[in-house]
Amino acid sequence: MTAFKELLKKEIRLELRQKHALAGVGMYVLATVFVCYLSLETLESQRLWGGLIWITGLFTAFNAMQKTFQQEGGGTQLYLYTLASARSVILSKALYNALLVSVLNTASLMFFILFFGEKPFADADLSQFVLGLLLGSTGLGFTLTFISGLAYKSGSGVGLVAILGFPVIIPLLITIVRFTTGALLGLTWLENGLNLLVLVILNASSLLLSLLLFPYLWRD
Amino acid sequence: MKLWLKILCAVLLFYALLSSFYHPLAPGGLTVDIEKLVPGANTFVYSGYNTHFKDHSNDGLQFFVSSGSHYYPTEIIEVIDNNHAKVNVVLPDTLPSEEIAFYANTPTDGTVYIMKPMDISAFVFHQNYTNGSVPVKVANDQHQNFGYPFQVIIFESIRNLMWHVPMWFTMFVIMFISFIQSIHVLSATGRENMLDSSMIYVQSGIHDRKASASAETGLIFCILGLITGSIWARFTWGAWWTNDPQLNGAMVVFLMYVAYFILRNSVNDEEKRARLAAIFNIFAFVLLVVLLMVMPRFAEGLHPGKSGNPAFSSYDLDSSLRMVFYPAVFGFILLGYWIYNLRLRIKILESNEEI
Repeated sequence: MTAFKELLKKEIRLELRQKHALAGVGMYVLATVFVCYLSLETLESQRLWGGLIWITGLFTAFNAMQKTFQQEGGGTQLYLYTLASARSVILSKALYNALLVSVLNTASLMFFILFFGEKPFADADLSQFVLGLLLGSTGLGFTLTFISGLAYKSGSGVGLVAILGFPVIIPLLITIVRFTTGALLGLTWLENGLNLLVLVILNASSLLLSLLLFPYLWRD
Repeated sequence: MKLWLKILCAVLLFYALLSSFYHPLAPGGLTVDIEKLVPGANTFVYSGYNTHFKDHSNDGLQFFVSSGSHYYPTEIIEVIDNNHAKVNVVLPDTLPSEEIAFYANTPTDGTVYIMKPMDISAFVFHQNYTNGSVPVKVANDQHQNFGYPFQVIIFESIRNLMWHVPMWFTMFVIMFISFIQSIHVLSATGRENMLDSSMIYVQSGIHDRKASASAETGLIFCILGLITGSIWARFTWGAWWTNDPQLNGAMVVFLMYVAYFILRNSVNDEEKRARLAAIFNIFAFVLLVVLLMVMPRFAEGLHPGKSGNPAFSSYDLDSSLRMVFYPAVFGFILLGYWIYNLRLRIKILESNEEI
């Protein structure tokens, strides 16, 4: 447990030390939303909001996650392997990435509101929307952390993250778009509850599978 | 694979193939060539499907127009052939219900009916006004011959049930084998205390070959399921693809297993390939269960088995379909297992050649 805490601290410290990487992803989010604004100008339909927010969220997560294993060379990983268990490594990375994606998606939401206004939130259920944003981001973080670990170990670079990640992430994406759009349209908790349930199942299963399978991935 | 299993597989598939095309559909009402009903005389041609109007033109052929639960008798003008008859109905000014249906009754076919949207603006509706109607006993499903259920929109394509659905059952079974073999790969590599590390290598190699051979076979059945489903969708829903959770889930499953093979091809070291592929396979199978069995139940769609229902709704449970459907399922599962065995033996021969 202490190892996990230290590893989480290490991840955050590393991120803050390399501010250019964080700034790069932030810049990417801003540019994407701005391009959306330039090409659409107005965006009043809640369905389009739900879709666009998560398309942006998906590619942001892919971008932010690329460096999660890449930045540590083989030597660092060997060192970590001697210090901590594989589970605490993947748990720290998954939680850290979930946090990172949540922050980035909140930023992207701010940019969306900045450019397009807050009209679609007129009859939205805000607590549902925030929960959806959080659960979607953590789901993206958990799944993509594991997939990028797999792609990294295969040794064939960044391209494989997209190939392996896209099919695996689609179920989460469908559910989260549905849930968020429902929240924006003002559905009640009861009407939107099944989407929430699927979302929780997907989150839990991806975290659980990461914890179960990563030890096998980690050894060489 | 045992010889008797192979023979059983061939017999079951032969039976399913023949009977899925051999048996006719049960009789049903197709359409009436009338758009508007008026008080007084209405003449129209009643079209049936696999019905026996001509054979019974003198004994027991009757047509009725119903309004709610009240029936109005018709006069048969001309029986054109077994499936067409020209009839005339005299309706009163006031009808008890806006629900209009057209019934045909023969001793062989039982009662068949047609529901069709009608222009009924010329009538007055009053619940208690039943003037002119006659009591009729509706014989449901009394046809005597073996036949598949007659379903509007689906019609003859109901035979596809015996082909499309077993593909997914088979894929599921074969992918489950792949999942189990992947777990074996990981547990073989996980045995730290194994004396000889080459033993681990051999063990995980065998399971890896089994996992990839079954994933290949499962992918073939997935593709066949997508193709048969797409053809069915074209003829019943009018499009090759519709935005339905089950269809989208099936496509994602297909993509996941394609990704599995891309992952396999991108790793050269055999032991590492076995391990990474097994890890991804386990991940993929869990998502497959979520995608095809959990998510469709929570969403609305066109595909049967939606909105909380299991995959078998009322018409699937017809006994005539069951008699062919279950043998077809078992036949295809055996076929899948057979193909998996052959793929595995080819893989083993190839790896021996390399050495």
